[in-house]
Amino acid sequence: MKISYEWIGDFVDLDGVTPKEAAEVLTRLGIEVESLTVIDLSQIIVGKVLEQKPHPKSKTKLWIHQVDLGTRTEQIIAGADNAVPGSLVPVALPGTTVPNGKVVKDLNIAGYSAKGMLCSAEELLLGDDHSGILILDSGRPGDPLTTVIPSQATMDVEVTSNRPDCMGHLGVARELAAGLDRPMKVDFMPAFTGKSEPAGRDMVKVSIDDADLCSRYIGGVITGVKVGTSPDWVQRRLRACGVRPINNIVDITNYVLLEYAQPLHAFDRAKLSGGEVHVRRARAGEKLLCLDGVERELTPEMLVIADADKPVAIAGVIGGEETAVTDATADVLLEAATFNGPNVRQTARAFGLRTEASARFEKGLPAELALAGARRAAALIAELAGGAVHREWADVYPRPQEPVRIRLKPWLVDEVLGIHVPLEDSEAILIRLGFHVRILGDGEWDVLPPVFRLDVSIPEDLVEEVGRVWGYDRVPPTLPGRRRDRWTPSIPSMGRRLDAARQVLAGAGFTETWNPALVSGRMLEQLRVGARALGVSNPLSDDMDTLRTSLLPSLVNVVALNRDRGRMGVKVYEIAAVFLARVGDKTTQQPEEPQRLGAVTDAGATAESGREAFYAMKSVLDGCVRELGAPAYSYRRASAEMFHPGRCAAVFLEARQLGYIGELHPFVVANAGLEGRLVAIEIDLDPVLATAEIRRGQPLPRFPAIERDLAVVVEEHVAAGALLATIKEAGRDILERSRPFDEYRGAQVPDGHKSVAFALTFRSPERTLTDAEVDNVMGEIKLALEKKHSARFRE
Amino acid sequence: MSDPQELTQEALAAIARAQTENELAAIEVDYLRRKNGRISSLLSDIGKLPPEERAALGQAANEAKRVIEAALAAKRHELEEARLADIAETEAIDITFPGAPLGRGHIHVLTQVQRQIETVLESLGYQVELGPEVETEWYNFEALNIPPGHPARENWDSFYFTPDLLLRAHTSPVQIRAMQRIKEPPIYIITPGRCYRRDAPEATRLPYFSQVEGLAVDKALTVGDMKGTLLYMIQSLYGEERKVRVRPSYFPFTEPSFEFDVTCGICAGAGCKSCRHKGWLEVGGCGMVHPQVLRNGGIDPEKWNGYAWGFGIERMAMLKHDVDDIRLFYESDLRFLEQF
Repeated sequence: MKISYEWIGDFVDLDGVTPKEAAEVLTRLGIEVESLTVIDLSQIIVGKVLEQKPHPKSKTKLWIHQVDLGTRTEQIIAGADNAVPGSLVPVALPGTTVPNGKVVKDLNIAGYSAKGMLCSAEELLLGDDHSGILILDSGRPGDPLTTVIPSQATMDVEVTSNRPDCMGHLGVARELAAGLDRPMKVDFMPAFTGKSEPAGRDMVKVSIDDADLCSRYIGGVITGVKVGTSPDWVQRRLRACGVRPINNIVDITNYVLLEYAQPLHAFDRAKLSGGEVHVRRARAGEKLLCLDGVERELTPEMLVIADADKPVAIAGVIGGEETAVTDATADVLLEAATFNGPNVRQTARAFGLRTEASARFEKGLPAELALAGARRAAALIAELAGGAVHREWADVYPRPQEPVRIRLKPWLVDEVLGIHVPLEDSEAILIRLGFHVRILGDGEWDVLPPVFRLDVSIPEDLVEEVGRVWGYDRVPPTLPGRRRDRWTPSIPSMGRRLDAARQVLAGAGFTETWNPALVSGRMLEQLRVGARALGVSNPLSDDMDTLRTSLLPSLVNVVALNRDRGRMGVKVYEIAAVFLARVGDKTTQQPEEPQRLGAVTDAGATAESGREAFYAMKSVLDGCVRELGAPAYSYRRASAEMFHPGRCAAVFLEARQLGYIGELHPFVVANAGLEGRLVAIEIDLDPVLATAEIRRGQPLPRFPAIERDLAVVVEEHVAAGALLATIKEAGRDILERSRPFDEYRGAQVPDGHKSVAFALTFRSPERTLTDAEVDNVMGEIKLALEKKHSARFRE
Repeated sequence: MSDPQELTQEALAAIARAQTENELAAIEVDYLRRKNGRISSLLSDIGKLPPEERAALGQAANEAKRVIEAALAAKRHELEEARLADIAETEAIDITFPGAPLGRGHIHVLTQVQRQIETVLESLGYQVELGPEVETEWYNFEALNIPPGHPARENWDSFYFTPDLLLRAHTSPVQIRAMQRIKEPPIYIITPGRCYRRDAPEATRLPYFSQVEGLAVDKALTVGDMKGTLLYMIQSLYGEERKVRVRPSYFPFTEPSFEFDVTCGICAGAGCKSCRHKGWLEVGGCGMVHPQVLRNGGIDPEKWNGYAWGFGIERMAMLKHDVDDIRLFYESDLRFLEQF
């Protein structure tokens, strides 16, 4: 919101306070000044046009002015023709830089000297009008322009949603006054100026149908107004706040909105059918042509202002075109109302139309503000547009604002802040902010917040008021600490425990990614993993409309993205939750959110490279699970969505399935627009962490080991895992370790067969084994392999 | 038959001439071998000598052996020194040639920053507390003093699944869950995790992001304690020269509420282009926990009070590592991720 420094000066004495200092004070008080724009007018002077003649030689139309600058007269040439003799104008002399950046030079235009520039509003950044010279209302030739128009400073402030009272200059000025410890020049409630007969409430009938949506409606009547343009200072201030001047009546409603934060509306009373105003819900099918020229269809959730026949305004959002004030308007009905915040917001959202009015109403305005705003506007209309303000307005007020009282133990201020604020300072601060404080016999305070502060209701709110004016900079930082008799033992976080796996993955060349959990539901369907997916009911876009059920689609896309950018051999992983809707009658409950590890690696283009990558990925998984401290787990051939049917294993930890490892199905790879092969894992981490054990030290072996290799020739279908199981069983207790290390097909191995080589380590914990003993056991192993797997052996 | 002293002179001369270890080894064998070595050969006929001469010869032979051994050792030492003196040239390598790449992967910069934050706060006794990302209306809003229709709700525009289920807009629901679980203060927790808001993606914000919130509930905590905690955290993460300020603000779940700012790392608070001439960078929000929020967590606000704060992990990482576009964290371009 834009705040004009000049305007604030109406309410608080800013003598000796620069715009920058004011901005700093406001920011410290909680009204954050995002930026400050200062327009320096001190170099511009007032001139009076004595003579205006067309340039006799110039091809483009130019005018030569003789301008009185107090002590001398200068010749100045301009393109605009509105600076007729007698006009007071802003003059920039050669060498000065005007606020919009233009540097004025000493010129000679087609034989005529030009000693300066007559400035437009746009050149002075006082408006967007560049069609003509800015004509001043007053001023003395030769004086600085700032004697007529003060130097302008505009602050862009951010007002928190609990402080709608600060969405106007008066509220901001009050904060500043409190911060500077200076008095306010005006009271919150202006005097009522209506004296004319008959009573306003006899001239318009107001009714509220739905008091929940409108707690107050004031309809003020002002007759005999003269609609015209507003004076410069009104236009200038509106422009500074980004509001376009229209006519004096409309400008005044906007002016008061920007001043009091109370939105107002002016109807042309003659156009209100039946002279009636009904605040009611819209009827199905009703439409309203709005002030912005758009016809809007209304629904019964929306509140409207209607006359005897039809809606004339959308409550709190925008007025209707038909009943608007025009040059022909003589009598005005001034609306100052209090509408329900959530309802206004809903309506404004439904139309995608956020107006200055709706932005204020939706925060919830106090009903007392409506009266203050209406009185201020009536006085301004009388002053600037003539007209008679009628006495006794219609004021329908079904839900009077409840007064709030707070019982404050004033020492709470010190307890919460952690410093000592003298009681008289706390009291003075509250009074400066408009609070009434009564000190009770027991030392507690009875505090009455001002009517415009609906946000203050508990003692802590008062502590905040004192604290922010006293200054939080004065609170020294401390660390809490006291003698404790209770505590919670420290345990490592899940993230920290999983760092062990991250280290293994980093060592294996995998880079961690964080990918969005919202993905395309259509993509999950295509990959056949959409069965338990949760769809967002209000997505931003259809590529982020569903929560992922698997980490793998994101990771495959990461491979695709990086390959697109010229990277081959991508190895990536992610540790994050996936989301699985509960089934049956629990679908409306929170979903399961298992933490998972997903990893994908580029696996070359050939069947062989895919196979190698599969085994490499197994080693990575082994390393991760081992580092996490989980007990041994096993693989079983499996088929799963997204995986290659011949190259996929389910990973089991005891009886529990953790997930899958395997090559990704060619259709998954193709679906991501990729070529070649990818190998992936996706496992649940919660059971891994749950079964993690502390590793126990083993005594070192005291006797030497004997190593033997064994090449076993079997039919293709026999799995190395099955051979290993047989070997382990036959190897008895002296077989310390056994591991398949090579698979071979070719010379010496019959067709349809393969040779699997095993490395065996024999050792006894009690003695040194002899070769004969080991030969003996090797014989038994071979026998068992022959019997069970029809194995032969290669030497 | 030679004289032991002559033999010794001969051997020492040979040792002095020798230039290589091989020559020394040959000399050693020639003179000192047990069988048929020149020294031992001296003693082969010892039996023929008169007994009174035997001892003298034995002694002389032993003396010869000792001297030759010593000379060999000295010469070997000399040769080794000479060899080592040479390796600076003979074995020199080009130390500018690079090693083979390790091929190590990278841990995500957000994981790294999150862990640093956890480490700092754990050192103050805070513990990590986690919670679900799909939350109920009550935990995400109502328990935090944000009833339906509350004007502040527009700051937390959310993704819904059903009227009651949504993606959490902050990690604050974890605070409520933690209070309900722990029941009896003291409570000192931090809640890292992913959050979601319905904001269109741009360079400074995304519809998905990550937060760390902290919550302390204890006896007689103050705004000063909150400031101290934030200052300790910021100085630990960014350096001791950083300053923290709190500015009054508004959140429904804290009273009083603040934004907290950190002095700009480039201009140290003087104001520069990078901090838009403010001297301060906005980091997050904080405040004293609203009594109603404590009640909603099952904590008696008459007996306990608390403070809480929260900020985006991305924001912290951007400040720490000079990253200017939040989207880079989630785009998964390896050229970015490998920088950290």
